Amino acid sequence: MSETQATNQQAVIERVPGHSAMQLKDVAVSFNGRVAVRDATFDIAKNRVTSLIGPSGSGKTTLLRALNRLHDLTPGAKVSGQILLEGTDIYRGDVTVTELRTRVGMVFQRPNPFPTMSIYDNVVSGLRFNGIKKKSLLDEAAETSLRSAALWDSVETRLKVAASNLSGGEQQRLCIARALAMDPEVLLMDEPTSALDPIATLKIEELMTTLKERVTIVIVTHNMQQAARISDDCAFLLMGEDRAGELIEFDTTEKIFNNPNDPRTLDYTLGRFG
Amino acid sequence: MNDLTQLDEPIEIGQSMREEIRRVSHAARARRLLISRIMTSLCALALAIAAVPLVLLLWQLIQRGAPQLTGAFFTKVPATPTLIAPNATGGLSNAIIGSIALNVYAAVMAIPIGVLVGVFLAESTSKFAGALRIIAQTMAGAPSILMGLFAFSFVLQDLHVGFSAIAGSFALAVLMLPVIVLSTEIAVLNVPNTLREAGLALGAKPHKVSLRIVLPSALTGIVTGSILAISRAIGETAPVLLVIGGGYLNSWQPLNPVSALPLSIYENAKSEWPSQRAQVWGAALLLVAFVFVLSLTARIWASRKQRVSN
Repeated sequence: MSETQATNQQAVIERVPGHSAMQLKDVAVSFNGRVAVRDATFDIAKNRVTSLIGPSGSGKTTLLRALNRLHDLTPGAKVSGQILLEGTDIYRGDVTVTELRTRVGMVFQRPNPFPTMSIYDNVVSGLRFNGIKKKSLLDEAAETSLRSAALWDSVETRLKVAASNLSGGEQQRLCIARALAMDPEVLLMDEPTSALDPIATLKIEELMTTLKERVTIVIVTHNMQQAARISDDCAFLLMGEDRAGELIEFDTTEKIFNNPNDPRTLDYTLGRFG
Repeated sequence: MNDLTQLDEPIEIGQSMREEIRRVSHAARARRLLISRIMTSLCALALAIAAVPLVLLLWQLIQRGAPQLTGAFFTKVPATPTLIAPNATGGLSNAIIGSIALNVYAAVMAIPIGVLVGVFLAESTSKFAGALRIIAQTMAGAPSILMGLFAFSFVLQDLHVGFSAIAGSFALAVLMLPVIVLSTEIAVLNVPNTLREAGLALGAKPHKVSLRIVLPSALTGIVTGSILAISRAIGETAPVLLVIGGGYLNSWQPLNPVSALPLSIYENAKSEWPSQRAQVWGAALLLVAFVFVLSLTARIWASRKQRVSN
């Protein structure tokens, strides 16, 4: 553990400002006119883990789902402000929503492998949805992604088995592999370990620290130790008096947990409320 | 003022009060036990009353029907008994083939349309979908003779197709349709939303999510609904009564007149020959066996569904 912390701190020092995977400018999300989250302005730095923390109802998940336009299909949902992916506004630029989602992947709170598909079919499902049929390509993508998700060794001999036979932790790593198969630039993770036991959680956390070398990670977590352990940058959100979530503070994780600007941030990270 | 912290002495419950509590609660327990026993007995009695007609029916069906199920019953077409040979009833092979043909054609027509409409109802929030749902629900409860009348006026009179298997299967398809639509809708609605989101988050277009993720996940429910729709249709007399012509020959041809087991029952039950009236029980037993096998298949599918979702 102490080793991981040391490398984290080193990463903080080595941070190159201005090199962002995504930029949020005054982002707000509302449902039927009711604001769920607002004032979100921060940069998601490349090849780092950015965590979104805050109590229930502060709009963490809502904000995360705005980053791959998952609110599009919710009637009455409206996203305002700007969300830039490599400088292009994902809501107004010429990025199609399906292309965006291949570049910004997502892992959900509960492991959700497709129950009717085998392990192999799950991993390559995204590629198939996007029209890739060549067997050699799919095979290669499946192996690479499963290796990246630290799952290859345990499933290599049973790729054709239904994904529902895996344990919860394995299913979640399968979902990570499925997202990685699309070779995304950013990986959104919505409380990816909240349904898992501590050992499975640890494996996913270790995975994240290695994965960030190739993909930028944004993670929503309720677990503050987790945010402190694995994230490099941290956004703290809080529910305002009108019950709308708002960004209180964004900084390096080290600063947020040790020496935040806003007293409310310290109150939260020290467990005084929420 | 009445702050609990101001009570510095615990409340004492006296001996007499303790006994009172024990006595009353004991009496209440005895009363509850008595009521419980009476209610359980009443339930058992109701069950017995409900079971009597069912058991009698099944007993009579097997006792009278089983002897009728000879080889000739399955292989020969009907014959008319004569005074010399009063038991020469032939068989009901025409009706067996007719029933199977009618339901296969009907299923081929109704299942694809029903499934697509069901998926549409589940995935759409439009007013049109709402109206369609109400129509399907009404149709599901509509008297089945209505389907026969509709097939008669539409297929026979408007399209000038004669008495035929296809006219009968059209009527049965209309009968099956709402059952398939509504069960498909439920099966699709039961697919967890997280699976749809997982598909969308991989960059899949919504129609691919419906086709490649939602439909396969809902398949067991859809199959169950379709089997139940067929098992309802196979026993129906009214929809086919007016349109299939009651053909006496074995025929799989959609445009030929055919017979059906329920229709044979209806016709033979009116016969003046006791041998033909007896044959009715064989047809009835065979029909019940069909329905039993279909429901059993549906149940096995449904339990498979539960295993998958667990």
